[in-house]
Amino acid sequence: MQTTMVAALGALLLGVIALTPGCADQAAATGTSATASTRHQLTGAELYSIHCNRCHPERYPTERTAAQWKTITLHMQVRANIPGNQARMILKYLQDNSGR
Amino acid sequence: MKKHMKTSRWMTGLVAVGCAAGMGAAPRAAAEVSQADFDSLKDLVLKLSDQVQSLRQTNQLEQQLHEQDVQQIQQLQAKLAETSRTATDAQQKAVAASQTAPMPRVPIDEATVNHNFQILGDAEVQYAKTSGQNGSFVMADFAPIFLYRGGDNVLFESGFDFILQNNPQNSNPATPGATTTVNLSFAQLDYVINDYLTLCAGNLLLPLGTYSERSAGWLNKFPDSPLARGFVPGNGVGAELRGAAPLGESGALLNYAVYGVNGPSSSDNTGQAGSLDLGGNVGLRSDNVVANLHGNPTGGGRVAVFVPFKPHYDLELGLSAQSGEWDNAGQHLWTAGVADATLHLGPNLEAKGEYIVSRYGSDDLGNVTQQGWWAQVGYKLAGLNLEFPGINNLELVGRYDSVRDGMGGSTQRTSFGGVYYISNALLFEGAYEFLHSTDPTQADQIILQLSYGF
Ligand code: HEC
Repeated sequence: MQTTMVAALGALLLGVIALTPGCADQAAATGTSATASTRHQLTGAELYSIHCNRCHPERYPTERTAAQWKTITLHMQVRANIPGNQARMILKYLQDNSGR
Repeated sequence: MKKHMKTSRWMTGLVAVGCAAGMGAAPRAAAEVSQADFDSLKDLVLKLSDQVQSLRQTNQLEQQLHEQDVQQIQQLQAKLAETSRTATDAQQKAVAASQTAPMPRVPIDEATVNHNFQILGDAEVQYAKTSGQNGSFVMADFAPIFLYRGGDNVLFESGFDFILQNNPQNSNPATPGATTTVNLSFAQLDYVINDYLTLCAGNLLLPLGTYSERSAGWLNKFPDSPLARGFVPGNGVGAELRGAAPLGESGALLNYAVYGVNGPSSSDNTGQAGSLDLGGNVGLRSDNVVANLHGNPTGGGRVAVFVPFKPHYDLELGLSAQSGEWDNAGQHLWTAGVADATLHLGPNLEAKGEYIVSRYGSDDLGNVTQQGWWAQVGYKLAGLNLEFPGINNLELVGRYDSVRDGMGGSTQRTSFGGVYYISNALLFEGAYEFLHSTDPTQADQIILQLSYGF
């Protein structure tokens, strides 16, 4: 019983998140975050170096083609729980520097 | 220079003619010239001879200067030849470079197509030597991963494990040799609903802790898994909603996942403690009967925060749990909780670990509580800035494991090892494991492994 309730609550929470896409972006845009003004928007290269070697040794952009990166980045986005907009920035960085 | 030479030759000639004339005239004139005249003439001759002398010296000097000039000219000529050679060299090099320089980037059509299929994966070869047994090579694993992407939001991903094993020695003599088994580690369809949520369905890697989702030979720094992972399933058949939302703009994330899967079952339909089967209950029996082996599905989920302080410095803390009936009669619950942590302090230092506890009811032993934890630290020697060859490719790792199975068994294991990175995806790993266990079949062992992520 308890488990079912916990799961239901979790599903509800996720439902709310699902229905309000862009909520975090809005908060940032309106400057509600106190530190937002002092911090800059992270670039694709920075996001790449934050995420892409924390679970495994870094895989270099030149190791794959632009097309392959599109598929692999989606794979990693799901596996590593990277928000879609950040994954797109990482993908752009990888494709701009990809091998051919 | 030339003008000087001509003048000096002309003057020498003049002096010689003068002298000859003077000598020829001398005997006839001797009687007529006075002493004074003679003296002045003598003076003149002496002066002339002095002049000749000094002229000869200047000439010699000039000769020397000339030789020096000739030498200088030769040197300059040589230098000129050399300069023009380097110039042509440079020109040739420039031409060659301009031929090999990358062409300006043009968009690749392939990158814009909607569908893409790829095979990734990893392969491992192991050598293991357990104390008291023969050491041997073990072709442990060939684990291809198939990725199929359709558009921007759909991905099908599946991973296999091909494992080659010796048949048991006392097995049917008609089937000697070895057997190849194929395991489906995961096979899931992912649909990206929006930037913060993805729906996954199929044979899922479960986010119970992080180990199962983050393991492959070239990811693990030890050739084998932490012991406590044996208390929770690595995958389950069902559906999952997962994703992450940014916390501010520093890159910090809130990670979440909820799922429902068939869950653990009983290997012999009973509720005996020893019958708990974490890996079973996949919805289909081998006699083709579609069956969930107990009445209700199992639910689970994970929440975590990931905080990057700057690139390569981050902390991730997660809590996850799963609970549901496990026995066929639906009398007993199996519940597990995992706390996981991962810390990076710079590109060279990583520490991670998990605390795992599970409890389940049983017909024979009542409630069984299993618990264990593991912690692992890795340090890449590149951080020491030493000059020894190869040392910058070496990472030293240590791991401590402790488990209590709730039925009287317990094991502690301390492992030391090293990873030599031949490249970022080709690793040579070695570990020595010291074991203390209530199970007498467990012993110290040494494991060597070559892992490749492709
Ligand atoms: C949460 C941990 C995690 C993070 C973060 C992560 N990866 Fe991975 N990655 C994995 C795992 C696990 C595998 C291997 C198993 C698999 O592919 O399912 C993998 C495999 C890969 C592979 C395939 C190579 C192979 O040999 O299988 C590439 C390429 C890759 N990752 C690139 C990236 C890039 C680029 C990023 C940054 C966006 C990234 N990874 C971030 C966990 C992670």
